[in-house]
Amino acid sequence: MVLAELVQYVATGLLVGGVYALMSIGLALIFGVMRVVNFAQGDFMMLGMYLTYFYAMSGSVDPLLGAILTIPPFFALGWAVHRGLLARVTGGGDPQRQMDAQLILTLGLSLVITNATTMILSPTPLGIRTAYATQAFALGPVLLNQARSYAFAMALLLAAAVYVFLTRTDLGKALRASADDPEAASYQGIDVRAMHGLAFGTGIALVAAAGGLLATYYPIEPTVAGNFIVLMFVAVVLGGLGSIPGAFVGGLVIGLVQSLTLLVLPFQLQNTGVFIVFLLVLYLRPQGLFGRRARTV
Amino acid sequence: MRPLSRTLIVVLTLALATPALFIRPAPAAEDVKIALVAPLSGRWARQGQLKKMGAEMAIEEINSQGGIKALGGAKIVLREADAGDSVEKAVSAAQRVLTREKISAGIGSWLSSFTLGVTEVAERLQVPWLSLSYADSITERGFRYTFQTSPVSSLQAEQALDLVTDLARKNNRPIKKAGIVGDNTAASMFFYKPLREKLLAAKGIELVVDDVWTPPLADATAIVQKLRSGQPDIVFYGATNFPDSIQVLQKIKEFGVKSPIQGVGAWLVTPEYVKAVGKEVLDNIQTVVAAHPMKGQEELVKKFKQRTGEPFMTQDPLCTYAHVWLIKEAIEQAKSADPKAIRDALAKIDISSGPAVSAFYPSRVKFDERGRRVGATPLIVQWQDGEPFTVVPTAVATRPIVWHK
Amino acid sequence: MASRGRGWLAIVAVVAVGVALTLLVQERYHHRVLTLVFLWAAMGLAWNIISGYAGQISFGHQVFFGIGAYVTVLLVVKAGLTPWIGMGVAVAVAVLAAVLIGMPTFRLAGIYFGLATLAYPLIFRIVMDWLGYQEVAIPMKREQPGWFMQFNEPRSFDLLALGVLAATLVLSRVIETSRLGYRLRAIKENEQAAEAMGVDSFRCKMAAYMLSAAPAAVVGAVYIHAILFIVTPEAVFGLLVISQTLVVCLVGGSGTLWGPLVGAALMVPVSEILDTTVGDRLPGIQGVVYGAALMLIMLGAPEGLYWRVRHAFRARGGGEATRLAIVAPPAEDGAAAVPTETVLLEVRGVSKAFIGLQALSDISFDVREREILGVIGPNGAGKTTLFNVLNGFLVPDRGEVRFLGQAVTGLRPSALCRRGIGRTFQVPRTFQHLTVLENVMVGAFVRVGPVHVAASTARSALAKVGLADRADALPTGLTTLDLRLMELARCLATAPRLVLLDEPLAGLSGDGVAVMISVIRGVRTRGVTVVIIEHTMQALLRLADRLIVLDQGRRLAAGAPGQVTQDPAVIEAYLGKRWLARMAAR
Repeated sequence: MVLAELVQYVATGLLVGGVYALMSIGLALIFGVMRVVNFAQGDFMMLGMYLTYFYAMSGSVDPLLGAILTIPPFFALGWAVHRGLLARVTGGGDPQRQMDAQLILTLGLSLVITNATTMILSPTPLGIRTAYATQAFALGPVLLNQARSYAFAMALLLAAAVYVFLTRTDLGKALRASADDPEAASYQGIDVRAMHGLAFGTGIALVAAAGGLLATYYPIEPTVAGNFIVLMFVAVVLGGLGSIPGAFVGGLVIGLVQSLTLLVLPFQLQNTGVFIVFLLVLYLRPQGLFGRRARTV
Repeated sequence: MRPLSRTLIVVLTLALATPALFIRPAPAAEDVKIALVAPLSGRWARQGQLKKMGAEMAIEEINSQGGIKALGGAKIVLREADAGDSVEKAVSAAQRVLTREKISAGIGSWLSSFTLGVTEVAERLQVPWLSLSYADSITERGFRYTFQTSPVSSLQAEQALDLVTDLARKNNRPIKKAGIVGDNTAASMFFYKPLREKLLAAKGIELVVDDVWTPPLADATAIVQKLRSGQPDIVFYGATNFPDSIQVLQKIKEFGVKSPIQGVGAWLVTPEYVKAVGKEVLDNIQTVVAAHPMKGQEELVKKFKQRTGEPFMTQDPLCTYAHVWLIKEAIEQAKSADPKAIRDALAKIDISSGPAVSAFYPSRVKFDERGRRVGATPLIVQWQDGEPFTVVPTAVATRPIVWHK
Repeated sequence: MASRGRGWLAIVAVVAVGVALTLLVQERYHHRVLTLVFLWAAMGLAWNIISGYAGQISFGHQVFFGIGAYVTVLLVVKAGLTPWIGMGVAVAVAVLAAVLIGMPTFRLAGIYFGLATLAYPLIFRIVMDWLGYQEVAIPMKREQPGWFMQFNEPRSFDLLALGVLAATLVLSRVIETSRLGYRLRAIKENEQAAEAMGVDSFRCKMAAYMLSAAPAAVVGAVYIHAILFIVTPEAVFGLLVISQTLVVCLVGGSGTLWGPLVGAALMVPVSEILDTTVGDRLPGIQGVVYGAALMLIMLGAPEGLYWRVRHAFRARGGGEATRLAIVAPPAEDGAAAVPTETVLLEVRGVSKAFIGLQALSDISFDVREREILGVIGPNGAGKTTLFNVLNGFLVPDRGEVRFLGQAVTGLRPSALCRRGIGRTFQVPRTFQHLTVLENVMVGAFVRVGPVHVAASTARSALAKVGLADRADALPTGLTTLDLRLMELARCLATAPRLVLLDEPLAGLSGDGVAVMISVIRGVRTRGVTVVIIEHTMQALLRLADRLIVLDQGRRLAAGAPGQVTQDPAVIEAYLGKRWLARMAAR
């Protein structure tokens, strides 16, 4: 294996992983604060892709900018979904049952969103044609697709912004407090329910933006969520459920695993590498790379 | 008391549900009914809709020309059923449409797994079925009611290879290295198999790239990288899943891969490709198909474009159009709308002219004992200026082939 | 729970209704819907065994469905083997797969288990595609159709599916009314408490998983032969199967036989009707309806329709029994109330550290037979941690514990329970949805197998603590005292030699304390050794023969109460001079 080729594989994996990373941060934030695994995460991403397409077609907005513009409406959408649906699920009072019930709720939501979109919008895959989708930066023998490189850079920026928000601002600290210990947080005067809404809204906004970035090089169709939701779960578990930097690293690792698996396994088994890593992490280190609590019986 | 109330609940629920089971359809008329089971919704809706357009065009022609003479001018009516996006839905649709009314014959269902399922139903219910699917498996089950008009994938592989090696030699660029790139859907796999196992070796061609993936494809870089370094003289390309295919084609442009692309199937011939990747990327890409408008069919194509507003006519509407006419011929010969009689007529049929053979090359429809069209030969279609043209065989080509740089 | 005879009668009634429908329904397509109702109900019941009864929610149960389909069909294709036998092989493969999947995956708790189960069907899908089995069609066998499950008459498929449903109903019923059923429910309610009551949760979950895999495989095999005719990885390992299963079980109600029946009878026809009528104009309407159904159920009736309706019936039905005064059990004094010299439990040099905290440091002491040993100390001294080590919930970093002369360090709680160490918890851990009697029966099952024997053992345990009259109540209606007495009875039902009582007097009023003390004394009189953590010093002084004092993880003092309470180190660390003054003033 020539070194240049290996570097190409690694570079490809990282570029792909960058967008996975952004997708996964939203999921990690939601789980970290609310202890809810949002099965509908991929579907919101798909909606974000469509909105970016709409911006591109009607306003000639470059999808990289369009991705940023999905953030406000999707934040509002996420907030509304939390208020209207998730917050109303109590599971009969028992916290464990409540978590299970919220999980099933998001599963139902996922089914509704995917199928309703299929009903309303055309199922034909759409694409945003940008010049940079088919051009590459050449770093020696290594080619870096331009669209993916820009998407990677944007993903890093957004992730950094989230990180700064969580660690440097008061609101961010309140959010983290609600994640750590909701009871103590409420004694401090923090409206935990509002924090949950904030977390959900932010999580949805992030994944919608990730969808917008994805749309620079990936075709848009109602069923696209299915291709990514499991990768997101794997990334988040790998990083440690609830850890934002962990989810980011997890996304990058998944991209790398996908790419490097091709060195050892036939193409057809590409994603099995990802699932095997998933299972290994769950068995050997279920708290993931950055997680805190061990979760074995 | 408790188990009793439980039973009550269950019985009540079952009872509530049962009236739904008794919904009866409206009684049918004297027309001859033909079923079309194809994806009319979901991700393959476009292909199904195109088939429907072809069928409707044929039905309108037949009915306006006096209907079925042998049955006193009986009209043909289309009964469509949506195969959706899963085998379940396809089989369910077939069951529904074939049991609700007396269906004389059926057509469909585009995706080979759907066709396999639907023909199982048709065989059990003894209704003759016409399919344009390529997979060899469709007519390897010993069925009596399934008729496959397209040349099967393994045969296409052999004939396509002969065609391209010939062309390459004539253009002084003999093929020494080949690549196989595509997904592992059944029709594609049936094509690759004979290539890998004997055909390429028989011609002394080295297989330098052999990368088959399970859809969806995460990233095309690794594959196209291999093409870049292996530099095959021809690439057999079977990416039937549209998003995967877009990624690969864009990456090929990006990496500047020059190898000629030989597609494997009609999925590469849809207007969406032009919108998605643009004319330049598609230029000179060719693909082997079972049917495409040939020389002499300009009237037909014009009519189709006027009726539907489609930019060009492709395999799906063309074959379906021909299939409807073929059924009409079979009914005329059988002098009956009974499915068994039609089946027998199709088994014996041998025609070489008329709209019923319009989609087929060579222009002859006769089926062997397995239900395969005798002498079926594929065509090669090439993208030129954002439109696909039949280029091989030259006898029926609508434009000459542009062999590659 | 249910009166056994009438439960079986109800199953027979359901099957009879099924047969009647089979005969009444005319159209072929309607038969298909009926077959689907039976099959999905059976699949729901299969899922219910592991996810409803045992509470381990699996998002990957379709892996067994798919194995059933593929193995059966591949055997027909490759070996010409009749699916009637092929199904049996498929079941064996599915059960083996359950073992292989369960072994690593059951070590994961809660949501991690669910997420892990997602991976397996996805792996199978990819592997099946890779192996070249993208589309496997069943070869048509015209000569012996029945032998190959290829019936022409749709009613035959209805009956076949009904047979599968009936068998799964019977299986579920047998589990429900068996020891395994009680244990699974206990695990679902509170896994740790179940472990402490001698339920080996790993083995029980594994048994449930294997039992849930078998019917799923059969459903998969029949589904292909009756409905689909060809097998694709997407169709049998895909999302549709698990969504269907979840909808059927969650809408109907999980944890019961009847839930999946209700769910299937309701949702399957609804979805098929929608598909037929508006399916082409509104593609995906089925998915929308299923998704909406799941959401509505979670918002409005998360336990499922069956339970919601049943609770409505129940609430109107019997009123709450009036609260009788608690009767203190007969006190038996005498010779049996004296500790012997035999050492029952030896603790040697036990240390346990958590990140940043040395919870226990080099703890050593003995517990003698029939003594009441009190463990006291300030908050955070490590008392509960000590119990967790003795009970098997924690493994010490160093040191050894010997019980009845045998080393028991590191054994799981259920194993320790079986050897004779029982435990109650600081905050009572009850099995909320089981009655008091059933709670105690879980403990009894450590020693006995048959349900009726366990019931009578439980009753006598309840009598020993004076709760006999509350046997059919639910824990939610009990006072703190009753809850603690129930926990104690449950512990006693395991026939322990030694019990660890963690703050049994916490939250009790004066009267309650008196009752509890008398009960504890009664426990010792019957020959059970007691180790008790308490904060209420006065009570402990009345009760304990000896005391051990812990402070910051170390043993500070040990000995007779009078001695220990005078120890200046103990006063300094825990009791305080004022307490001493108050005691002296009495």
